[in-house]
Amino acid sequence: MMAVAAFVSLFALLILGTALAAVMDRAAVALASGRPMGAALKEPARRAAALLLRQKVETERPDSITWPLAPVAYLMLAAVGLSVVPFAPGVVVTDISTGIVLWGACEALTVIVVFLHGWSANAPMALIGGYRYVGIGLPVLLLSMFVLIAAALPAESLSVVEIVRAQEAGLWNVVRQPPGLALFLILGLMLTLRGPFDYADAEDLAGGTKAEASGPHRLAWRVARLAMLVSFSAMAATAFLGGYLGPVLPGPLWLVLKTVAVMAAVIAAGHMLARLPPSRMLTTVWVVLLPLSFLVLVLVGVELLLWP
Amino acid sequence: MAVTAADVLFWLLALCAGVSGWRVFATDSMVRASFLLLLSFLSVAGIMLLLAAPYIGIATVFMMAVEMMVMALFMVMFMMNPAGLNPMMMVHQHKLAIGAGVLAFLGLTAAILLTDLPSDPVPADRAVVHDLGIELLGDSMLVFETAGVTLLATMIGAVVLSSRRGRYGDADTGSRPPGLEPGGDPAGREPEEGGGGHHHHHH
Amino acid sequence: MTLTSVLIVASALVGIGLYGALSQQSFVMLMMGLELMLNGVLLAVIGFWSFGLGGAPEGQLFAIIVMAVMAVEMAIGFALVVAVYRKKQADMTEALETLKN
Repeated sequence: MMAVAAFVSLFALLILGTALAAVMDRAAVALASGRPMGAALKEPARRAAALLLRQKVETERPDSITWPLAPVAYLMLAAVGLSVVPFAPGVVVTDISTGIVLWGACEALTVIVVFLHGWSANAPMALIGGYRYVGIGLPVLLLSMFVLIAAALPAESLSVVEIVRAQEAGLWNVVRQPPGLALFLILGLMLTLRGPFDYADAEDLAGGTKAEASGPHRLAWRVARLAMLVSFSAMAATAFLGGYLGPVLPGPLWLVLKTVAVMAAVIAAGHMLARLPPSRMLTTVWVVLLPLSFLVLVLVGVELLLWP
Repeated sequence: MAVTAADVLFWLLALCAGVSGWRVFATDSMVRASFLLLLSFLSVAGIMLLLAAPYIGIATVFMMAVEMMVMALFMVMFMMNPAGLNPMMMVHQHKLAIGAGVLAFLGLTAAILLTDLPSDPVPADRAVVHDLGIELLGDSMLVFETAGVTLLATMIGAVVLSSRRGRYGDADTGSRPPGLEPGGDPAGREPEEGGGGHHHHHH
Repeated sequence: MTLTSVLIVASALVGIGLYGALSQQSFVMLMMGLELMLNGVLLAVIGFWSFGLGGAPEGQLFAIIVMAVMAVEMAIGFALVVAVYRKKQADMTEALETLKN
């Protein structure tokens, strides 16, 4: 019974969240540019329909397996990542003792899927996009692992369920370790190829890894990126904002509200922040952000020793 | 003996691990090769999950994903054909290598079949991840820390080895590409002397 | 799924890895062969732990050491490849007839 509820919640959150993310993404553009909001609500559906009807373009000798499979794998990783998030006490799809490691594995495989999407098209812009994304993606991945371990420290467990329980008993992690959430949001920008961390699908490369994708393939890639945003936001809400915890309203609703709030923050950051040149960004990540995440981990450790 | 779902899954994963491991050395492209190797690792990780090792199994996925990604990065860096989608077959001592591989497999299998293997499976209710954590930071802390220091030394060693600037000048000073045939003209370009134009010698 | 079957799969991986390490000309492909052998070793270690140790954590610890060895092998291997490439612009084993220079 609980398992059925967990599966239903997962797919409902993933599908409805993806649709909402698409609308929010257009609404953010409308808000910034002063265009009418009503059009922004209809635009995602209109664009999706147009992409569905458009024909497919073939590149010269693409990798026939990974090229069509990359968007599917991206979407699946979003679903698997979301599966460790509990929707209410006892309602979780994969209740394993190493949930946070599983999420980390999904992050790592996402970088690979984006690289493969760029590489398999056998086209220059797409390859450059995938290649430089990996360079930035790998250190950001390390950073996120430090931050996640810090979030798991108060729970003394790698299980996501336990992390929520520890926040129920004590403080929410966002209060204990606010820089952790900020650093984790960077991972969100990286995983969903957004704004300052969009080195894969950026416009300066004519669309990067999606440059050669058209029609349903391009639509699938977009949907997968938005689904990953939902999955990431739910994870951030669970690890740092207490997940389903909250007064008055039922638990799952709290999780949805928090997820939408994180989604809004990531979308806003994606539209508002500029992208650094890759070499400078690489230096920033290795020299500033990565040591900072390590410092967060050390501080959380010290804090837990002093105030257990 | 009844065949359970776990058995079927095990043999499927084993088949996937073996076949993708073999395809690594039979595929056209080096990028494909590195991700086929990753597929082999993922299959083995799946088997480890079946063997009740949830931490090691998933950590293998995480670690090998990053490692194979780095490998593919190096592939693209060193290859003349960046996308790596052109055919290639670069092997030497092929028959000897096949013989050695088959011999290793047969020898090990014979040893396995002739040995009286222990049978003391993990109890189902054992908190294996908890045990591992206590072991890592308890009795075996010295081993764990030694591994950590070794990795640190590796990082420093890797940077020193691969760095271009060195104590005795640039690493590529006077470097000469290998000949196209033994003793023949060098293949490819010769790097600029000293690189960067700082050390031009005028005679 | 018994210890015997797990170990046979592991030895198959070791055999394939040995073939790759001996037959490949490219340094990076050679390292893939070594990695595949270590993959088999890792599987064998976890197999022994799972079936033969009654869950003693030292078995998992050994697996972590094998993973550390893999990481060391990769990092030093790639550093050597970069050093050789700098000196000789070569990524093939045949290009190295001598370790001098």
